[in-house]
Amino acid sequence: MSKKIIEKEISIGPVHPALIEPYRIRFFVNDEIVEDCEININMAYRGIERLLEGLPVEKALLITERICGICSNVHAWNSVRVVESGLKIEVPERANYIRVLINEIQRIASHLIFFGHAFEVIGHETFAYRSFLLREVFMDLMAYIGGNRVMPSVPVIGGIRPRADLTDTLKRVILERVNDFEKKYKEYVDRILADPMVMSRLTGVGYLSKEDAIRYHAVGPTCRASGVNYDVRTLMHEYKPFDFEVIVLTEGDNRARIVQRALEIFECLKIIRQVIKNLPEGPVVNRNWTIREMPFTTAYFEAFRGELMHSYALDSQGLIRNYKVRTPTPTNLAAMEKACIGDHITDAVVTIASCDPCLTCCTRIEVVESGKTKVMSDIEIVRKYGWRR
Amino acid sequence: MEVFLKILIASILAIIISVPYSLILPGIERKIQARIQQRIGPPILTPGLWAVLKFWYKKDVEPVAYLPKFYKSLIIFGIIICIFLFLFSTPYWWQILSWGSVLGLIGMLKLEEFLYVLMGSQSQSFLSTTMPVPDLAKGAKGIGIFREFVEQHSAERAIKMMAVGSLPLYIALIVPFAIAKSGMISDVIKIQNPLYFNSSWFSLPIPSSPIIFTVPGFLSAIVYFIGYVILLNERPFNILKAKVDVIEGGILEYAAKLRAGYYIIRNLMLFILSSIFVTLFIGIPFDPFIPLCMIINIVLSLIMPIALSVFVAFSPIFTFRQIYPTAIGFSAIGAFALIISMI
Amino acid sequence: MGLKAIARKNAIHAMLIYTGGCNGCDIEVVNAVYSPRYDIEQYRVLLTWNPREADVLIVTGCVTWQMVEPLKKIYSLIPEPKAVVAVGACAINGNVYKNMVGEIGVNEEIFAPVDNIIPVDAKVPGCAPRPEDILMGVVKVIPKLMEAP
Ligand code: SF4
Repeated sequence: MSKKIIEKEISIGPVHPALIEPYRIRFFVNDEIVEDCEININMAYRGIERLLEGLPVEKALLITERICGICSNVHAWNSVRVVESGLKIEVPERANYIRVLINEIQRIASHLIFFGHAFEVIGHETFAYRSFLLREVFMDLMAYIGGNRVMPSVPVIGGIRPRADLTDTLKRVILERVNDFEKKYKEYVDRILADPMVMSRLTGVGYLSKEDAIRYHAVGPTCRASGVNYDVRTLMHEYKPFDFEVIVLTEGDNRARIVQRALEIFECLKIIRQVIKNLPEGPVVNRNWTIREMPFTTAYFEAFRGELMHSYALDSQGLIRNYKVRTPTPTNLAAMEKACIGDHITDAVVTIASCDPCLTCCTRIEVVESGKTKVMSDIEIVRKYGWRR
Repeated sequence: MEVFLKILIASILAIIISVPYSLILPGIERKIQARIQQRIGPPILTPGLWAVLKFWYKKDVEPVAYLPKFYKSLIIFGIIICIFLFLFSTPYWWQILSWGSVLGLIGMLKLEEFLYVLMGSQSQSFLSTTMPVPDLAKGAKGIGIFREFVEQHSAERAIKMMAVGSLPLYIALIVPFAIAKSGMISDVIKIQNPLYFNSSWFSLPIPSSPIIFTVPGFLSAIVYFIGYVILLNERPFNILKAKVDVIEGGILEYAAKLRAGYYIIRNLMLFILSSIFVTLFIGIPFDPFIPLCMIINIVLSLIMPIALSVFVAFSPIFTFRQIYPTAIGFSAIGAFALIISMI
Repeated sequence: MGLKAIARKNAIHAMLIYTGGCNGCDIEVVNAVYSPRYDIEQYRVLLTWNPREADVLIVTGCVTWQMVEPLKKIYSLIPEPKAVVAVGACAINGNVYKNMVGEIGVNEEIFAPVDNIIPVDAKVPGCAPRPEDILMGVVKVIPKLMEAP
């Protein structure tokens, strides 16, 4: 390998058309080629883990759902799973099915927003508009089931909100919309894969090898597009009744990351159909539980961008202690920084977008230059002495 | 004296007609794209006329630039360059000092392209390096490296585009002149539309043998279209103002009246280049004293913007990896057309 | 109505600045622009990313500490006349991040009501507000722009 020559730094963000969320990318470039890069993720720090300290666990749902607006259901569900597994609360079968349903609906919506964002970054506006149009189907379904387009708030401890129960009409509507969607979506995917100009931008760019994916611990679609077969859904008992495949591609470039998600949507559709077909009868919520002291419990979950961990303990009054959230994007960051080395800047932005960063949820600790005095808390100590991954 | 007066009136007429007309074009362009994207899109006058008027009525602010006065004056230069580029292609300027020749056109186009380099090197937008976020924290990578504004990077790209990107347009421009075996626009018109030179003011001289219907003419028309897209910095060749990294390039800091000026430059270029195309390849010049001829020129010059908007709707941004081969490939087609036209 | 007012009514450039929060509002704003179903452009509102070009600043999210300065700066860069639309519960009052604190009492990270930092002309409540409401919010500030000198 030749020696790196770093000519200059180009930094973009946090207010920038390519990165809608507030984060900052600093590219160290040699002419057009990115030699190194740094992603600063600390602009959206809200101190969620600190807010949750000492809240009653039922109330915590409101905050955990608002960790991220794209995967709201994932965070809500996973924080509920922690108590359920810690206190052995039983969840009715029907509730579980509906939770899976809303999760897969949101997964599709999330992947479609990824397409929209990725194509906007590539510069192909027409595809971006199409993908947002397709996404409306699932936003509607979420509004029908949960009552809100973004925050459906379906899971509660012991089941789901009774409002989110599926009626026969709703089942029919879902099935109709999904069938209709699949037809249009197939055309859309075919159209993308047949477009020579888009493919020339994507193929062979942003390569992440399997070894690197494992070494930097990439998760979710980012690692599955590099040939690592790892999906937490296969290990979860909630997904036992359903039959789906884990899509693994081996190319590891931007095209693979897009195609991986495109194919994953078909698997989601499969799951949605199974839910509608096999939905068992019965109650949707189990109210026979009491909150008591709970030791430190952890739950893992396959969020739309990869593995998600929530863990906390409850004290004797049922208040939350030591909430910890580990979202997929921080573990993907290193892989992202690695993957965009050696490409043009314009491609590197696409690479970062193709790993689908969702930085609101991963922002946790910020490094601040000295000079600002505040009341000390544990976060303040970290602030003072700096902390880097 | 009479000649001078005629030129003056013709120029004023040409400007008065072309500037308002060009303000409709972006609306049409946007509307077509919107239809392709299955939405309604903005009203036709919004992106052009009303946007320009609105910016005109905004309060002026000082741009952040190395040399703010120079940076502001670039817009005025731009408008002057555009207008002269247009006037050189209208009949009454053809005789003067041989401006109405291939050299006059190419010289003006080169100047227009060079404006982007100057703009980019001047502007210092707040959206990149000077954003007040603490990113040079303890332990950060690359402290002490020269930090560049995105606009300056855009200027570097503009230089590269000048070197390779504008080749197709120039080669395609030369082809009609090569067919006419002369450097003057009047000779190019003469071989296509001999009637034009002795027609009265109300007649409509129909070109007898437009260059576009010959093999080299057709090939070079395609190349001209690609060059048109490159020169207007539209997708896929908008790397120097790609939204994903350099946002808008050198024009980032123009606000209020200056931005209105920039919009006028861009819309004028949209019209002028396609009007030149109609003049050179179809043989109908923009002649303010022969209204039918002028109207036909205006109507036919809608072809290019419409084709452009369809093309733009279906293409992503190209990086230099794709731009070099594309530009060179189309230049080769142009050169091929040039060779057959010489035989 | 003079030409000035007509011109201002007919071309509005909106800029989105997202200042922390959960992405939900942000995506709904993008949805209002990019989804052909809502298509904000048919109401003569064009999205831009350049403060020098903008008339309306759409602010979403609970302003976090690092975004205070950029927000102020961007507001100051927009040439007059300008208007600000605060979208979402976060931008209006800080939502759960400011009001549902556990034991820490006060969350110092959130500088939330946007009108503490810059003057706000229209507020769109909701978590997350629907795209229709966002369109409505933008439309509500047009009279202010039109009447400005
Ligand atoms: S108002 Fe609600 S949806 Fe909007 S950013 Fe805040 S938490 Fe998210």
